[in-house]
Amino acid sequence: MSAAPILEVRDLHTHFELSRGVVKAVDGVSFTLHRGEVLGLVGESGCGKSLTALSVLRLLPKGIARTVQGQILYDGQDLLTKTPREMREIRGRKISMILQDPQTSLNPVFSIGDQLREAIYRRTRAGKAAVMREAVEALRRVDIAAPEQRIGQFPHQMSGGMKQRVVGAIVMAGHPEVLIADEPTTALDVTIQLQYLKLLKAMQQETGMAMLFITHDFGVVARMCDRVAVMYAGRIVECGPVQQVFDHPSHPYTQALIASVPKMTGSAERLYTVEGQPPSLMDLPIGCRFAPRCPHAEQRCRDSYPGSFSAGDAHTADCWRLAAA
Amino acid sequence: MSDEPLLRVDRLSKHYPVSKGVLFARSLGQVKAVDDISFSIPAGGTLGLVGESGCGKTTTSKLILNLEAPTSGQVLLDGTPIHGLEGAALKQFRARVQAVFQDPWSSLNPRMTVGRTIAESLIVTGWGSREEIAARVAELMVQVGLRPEQVTQYPHEFSGGQRQRIALASALASRPRLIVLDEPISALDVSIRAQMMNLLKDIQAQDNVTYLLIAHDLATVRHMADQTVVMYLGKIVERAPTRALFDDVRHPYTKALFSAVLPPHPDRRQDEIVLVGEIPSPLNPPSGCRFHTRCPFVMARCAEQEPPLRELAPDHHVACHLYA
Repeated sequence: MSAAPILEVRDLHTHFELSRGVVKAVDGVSFTLHRGEVLGLVGESGCGKSLTALSVLRLLPKGIARTVQGQILYDGQDLLTKTPREMREIRGRKISMILQDPQTSLNPVFSIGDQLREAIYRRTRAGKAAVMREAVEALRRVDIAAPEQRIGQFPHQMSGGMKQRVVGAIVMAGHPEVLIADEPTTALDVTIQLQYLKLLKAMQQETGMAMLFITHDFGVVARMCDRVAVMYAGRIVECGPVQQVFDHPSHPYTQALIASVPKMTGSAERLYTVEGQPPSLMDLPIGCRFAPRCPHAEQRCRDSYPGSFSAGDAHTADCWRLAAA
Repeated sequence: MSDEPLLRVDRLSKHYPVSKGVLFARSLGQVKAVDDISFSIPAGGTLGLVGESGCGKTTTSKLILNLEAPTSGQVLLDGTPIHGLEGAALKQFRARVQAVFQDPWSSLNPRMTVGRTIAESLIVTGWGSREEIAARVAELMVQVGLRPEQVTQYPHEFSGGQRQRIALASALASRPRLIVLDEPISALDVSIRAQMMNLLKDIQAQDNVTYLLIAHDLATVRHMADQTVVMYLGKIVERAPTRALFDDVRHPYTKALFSAVLPPHPDRRQDEIVLVGEIPSPLNPPSGCRFHTRCPFVMARCAEQEPPLRELAPDHHVACHLYA
């Protein structure tokens, strides 16, 4: 994948400006996303992963959160310099997003057919009958049984898994080049989660679109992603090919996350735990943000933030311990 | 352990009538939320109850907490039926069976200090003097890994993991015999979940308390529970000692649940059984075996006959015609 990335985020800083102070929710995030690639963005609540996605689409809550620094290059053009009108053309057509809760991303007063046809019409400007045909076909592609009948139904008449598949159909109707999926299966039951992940993967492989997959679940990463970026307290602390990161997790935070999950095989009487909690984003440590919880922390970790060091081929981690090696 | 288990659930059913209209209401039938289930938990043990939305896990927990009355069957705590208890006996029951719920944001009263929240059940039951209660609260705070001086703080000052510890402390206050843990870790962050699981195990080792753990995550159940019950649409489909179940999964639905567990490593992708379709409505559950509409091994008789729970190996019960 040596071609130019479809999406490149450089040194992104998005802050909440509150009367109590500045919350540095995204604080220097950089990553690249190539065509046809699935990049996982993993982290716990409040680490800034969703806000990174919203910054890319410029959908930050107005008057509260603001991108104060950085570049977001889509196909070489900086999205931060686009006018609102230009951004509207990009959202849904070039970059689309699936949210966690299908309940809130569908409009309850329109039938799913109306919402799907709108998305198709925006792209094709085709006649009524042609749009209708394509809408039925789109529902069939996301495995909705009897799409001709379902198309007139409203969101409340469908189960969570079905609604999320309708969202998938709407998103795909715009033929996006980049799909941002923000915890799309967290609200679904486990057997339905597997159905949906398979469907997303199939759609991604069929169309060759790039995907940014936001999750807190390393299992989802193992199942879906080519590369993974681990976020902690507003920064990406480790990034690399999935295989590499699972075989040689190099940041102590990544190691802890992988180790603390109970396994389905082998015996583990006691789970590995990381003590403490993530730091307040209003009052970040000057050094490494994980240092207060890190079992390997030294003085230099508390004094200054480590740069990104190589931890293998195309694999980096922000940890001073790699500097010595 | 004596012969009588601490908790025995005996042929328990809960059906909710569903009707349409108010004045000339007509009955649409019944939702069989829980339909003829039986299991027991020995004192100091942990039973994991697994299943997806609508399988009846929550109704089962409400029945065991005596928040709902069963349509038929009974729940026995130490050999005594719990439904129909009144007055002092009911109060005593409430002190002996406690619960911790999924969401620590909604289960704590935001206008009460955490000390008061923990003390609440002790005050209500007249457990002791002011000083005794204060001492007990301080002891509980330490037991769940919080500092005693934090009792004057309010829930919003705590993180999710800490709130769940507070909820646990208040459940432990009256020294219950049984705690119903309804998805106690699913709302927590990954790095906090392990802390909570270890804490639950430590407390069980100290106090010999019994857990009914309701969860959807099999790895959690494997880690915590001695016995596992798998439910689907109000029925138990498989019930076994956890170790036996994980070594030898029998029921096709349990197999599908297992295969839906995401791999711990990209190399370890297993053969996936992807179920077709959605979970059917419990209002009109499928005839015969309720799983037959989605089962990859469905046979003709599955739609006609309901399979009984059969013991296939010691304590390993499966409801499936494949093993007839």
